[in-house]
Amino acid sequence: MKKLYIVFCFIFFYLPILITMIFSFNSSKSLTHFTGFSLRWYQELINNKEIVSAVSVSVTIAILATIISTILGTITAIGLSKSRKFLKEYLLNVNNVPILNPEIVTAIGLMILFSSISIDKGYLTMLLAHICFCTPYVITSVYPKVRSLDPNLANAAMDLGATPVQALFKVILPLLRPGIFAGALLAFTMSFDDFVISYFVTGNGVKNISIIVYNMTKRTNPTINALSTIVIVVIIFILLIVNIVPILRKSKERKYEG
Amino acid sequence: MKKRIVILLTVVMSLMLTACTGGDGDGESKSVSDGSKTETLKVYNAGEYVDTDVLRQFEEEYNCKIIYDTFESNEVMYTKISSGESYDIIIPSDYMIERLIKEDLVMPVDWSLITNKEGLMPEVMDLEFDPGNTYSVPYFWGTVGILYDTTVVAEADLADGWNLLMNEKYAGDLYMYDSERDSFMVALKSLGYSMNTDNKDEIQEAFDWLVNQKSVMSPIYAGDDVIDNMISGNKSIAVVYSGDAAYIMTENEDLDYLAPEEGTNVWYDGMVITNDCKNIDLAHKFMDFMLREDVALANTEAVGYTSPVASAFEKMKTTTFAGISAYVPDTTNPNNEIFRYQEQEIKELFAELWTKVKAQ
Amino acid sequence: MKHFKHLTKPYIVWSFVFVVIPLLLIALYAFTTGGNSVKILDFTLRNFVKFLEPTYISVFLKSIKLGLTTTSICLIMGYPLAYFISKFNDKAQDLLILGVTIPMWINLLLRTYAWLNLLADNGIINNLLSIFGISPITMMYTDFSVTLGMVCNFLPLMIIPIHTSLRKMDNSLIEAAYDLGANRIQTFRRIVLKLSMPGVLNGIIMVFLMSISTFVIPKLLGGGQYLLIGNLIESQFISVGDWNFGSAISLLLAIIILISMRLMKKIDPQDE
Repeated sequence: MKKLYIVFCFIFFYLPILITMIFSFNSSKSLTHFTGFSLRWYQELINNKEIVSAVSVSVTIAILATIISTILGTITAIGLSKSRKFLKEYLLNVNNVPILNPEIVTAIGLMILFSSISIDKGYLTMLLAHICFCTPYVITSVYPKVRSLDPNLANAAMDLGATPVQALFKVILPLLRPGIFAGALLAFTMSFDDFVISYFVTGNGVKNISIIVYNMTKRTNPTINALSTIVIVVIIFILLIVNIVPILRKSKERKYEG
Repeated sequence: MKKRIVILLTVVMSLMLTACTGGDGDGESKSVSDGSKTETLKVYNAGEYVDTDVLRQFEEEYNCKIIYDTFESNEVMYTKISSGESYDIIIPSDYMIERLIKEDLVMPVDWSLITNKEGLMPEVMDLEFDPGNTYSVPYFWGTVGILYDTTVVAEADLADGWNLLMNEKYAGDLYMYDSERDSFMVALKSLGYSMNTDNKDEIQEAFDWLVNQKSVMSPIYAGDDVIDNMISGNKSIAVVYSGDAAYIMTENEDLDYLAPEEGTNVWYDGMVITNDCKNIDLAHKFMDFMLREDVALANTEAVGYTSPVASAFEKMKTTTFAGISAYVPDTTNPNNEIFRYQEQEIKELFAELWTKVKAQ
Repeated sequence: MKHFKHLTKPYIVWSFVFVVIPLLLIALYAFTTGGNSVKILDFTLRNFVKFLEPTYISVFLKSIKLGLTTTSICLIMGYPLAYFISKFNDKAQDLLILGVTIPMWINLLLRTYAWLNLLADNGIINNLLSIFGISPITMMYTDFSVTLGMVCNFLPLMIIPIHTSLRKMDNSLIEAAYDLGANRIQTFRRIVLKLSMPGVLNGIIMVFLMSISTFVIPKLLGGGQYLLIGNLIESQFISVGDWNFGSAISLLLAIIILISMRLMKKIDPQDE
């Protein structure tokens, strides 16, 4: 009984995805009748410079934003733990704003900001905006981990002769690794998936996947199915690796012990 | 360990992708620093309004890159321009061109650089919104009308003109265009007023007409998505631009087009060069290119909109769009009007009222 | 050790420029009427008064209604799913939750586009129905399609916190309840439900607040006539061009959400 319900829910989640993937191989333009197997939409996808460019934008921005926001977020989280109460309060509250605020309000705010300082909207503004909303997620992932650390660790390291930089890199950071990793993963997802904020802060023809799909939904476009399928496959692949590898390693370790 | 795998994978993938696209993600700045591609031209046009092959052709022939953006309506375009976005060439409609001229946002066209100007039909030239075509080069023209399914809509009902869109028989079965001026035009014409009125009472009546229509007919307010929907026959009636009608009718033979007797909007879209244009010479080359016989022909055939280039017009009239009334705009009906510039106050009123109609 | 506190300096500057200033700018625009170029600082409440007109209030109420509907459906569908998943062994639970999370990783636009095809008047579902002789149902551009899209999108956000709460729960508590003579329903109500409350509240807040401010899903699945607060704000900035009014609505929305979050935190003092 329970199993039936779970299956039903999963069908609900995955049905549109499955249909998209199946029809990406459809030989005709129809989105209702499967007329035959064909790779033509993948061919068109690769030939469509706009879409390929958009994918490149999405991916590069996600990677850059993740790297920068992870660094920024991590050092802030570390610094936060040693800060005075007033500063801590300010930073934590300000940090929550991009998370709690509806995306559209954040997007509008940034658009008005960029407009006011007359900066040319485009790749740079999109990147800045992405860093802006990714960093808080990193901080909320890393900060709890920082708090759980022994506050004297860094001192101990420096007493033993390490410079502050060495203490940071060799002692603190390795201990924070799970938090940093979780934060980075979260940042990447938020950036790659983003539509609203990117839509409002972009310009100069710079588009990411979300914006391109949004523009293309006006007409029936099976190329989007091909794009979806590729994105889905890549994501599932990455997620499976990230999640199954540790499980596999644990069972290998057990085999050794056994 | 797993973190490294993920990082490695993503780095590898992004490297592959950037290699494929030649680092295109950056658009303008990349091509300049690159050195191999020379110039870029930023074009801002309505959606579904060009044959993209024609753009590729231009890029190849003139060794440049076109950054092509689309807008859903003239109003969206205007708001974007006002917020600081800059383009080289924009392709707005008559009344919007008038506004851009009045607000000193566009520069005069150097017609001596337009070698294909002889091909233009005199009907589209020297109109009130841009006397002497000082600022604009014609792009497409047409009317607004009702696209209907001949197997569903009764012949007799068509005599109602715009009031067909209030006929309860077809409730839930129609698309209105999601554009304030076009929808108000329908209401105003149906009530017998001018589409360019600034009489607040008449505008209020039109507003009431639209609100009434929304509650009685439950129309879907659509944009370019009306095209594939009508081709598939999802609904029986739609208010569309003549060009979309022509294209749709070549794909669905059950449909026909009506430009009501009460009068409709005759519109003319044109290419203008903004004052922000970085490459005026290339801009002129683009406009000239669009008027070239083969290019104009390809363009009009792909999107269905009526070409201002005589040779293309004549050819399409007798071949691809033969028998399709939508392709040949009727300029003889004295009730037809061209949209004119609206004072800021009226423009804001229309915008606000249209939002309210949709919010009902 | 003291050196570390300087690490916060970059973010202090960053957050001020990119978080605080935009908010101040929105507030500035909300209280003035100068338009895009705020040259004259003419403070007025006009924009807020405008929002009080019945048409706009009805947009606001419609958004709330949709938010409540979406949240309720997500709760009704999501709690049982979270509960059933929590009954499996650890490894299975990990996999099932992964299965629930995967759609969230896939770009929202792509997921919503998939529904566009399914629900179209001549789409697959209607085709299937016609095989059974049922006439096509209009599903696109209706309350149904928008709600469906929202539920599909936000359901994982409801399931995950509830499941986390349930998983953390000590099973011995349930056994103890049985030992003390409670039946299944009593046990569920008094122990399971109460202990999973933090997760439930978390889920409700997230889904509700996100669904009232969304604009993409209503726009794609509801059409131009489906105007919610998010769409209203978007239209003010993109087509109408009244940045002042748009900012006022944004500010109102932000304040409502911040207040709601504060209230929720008071009801549930437990920090996640």
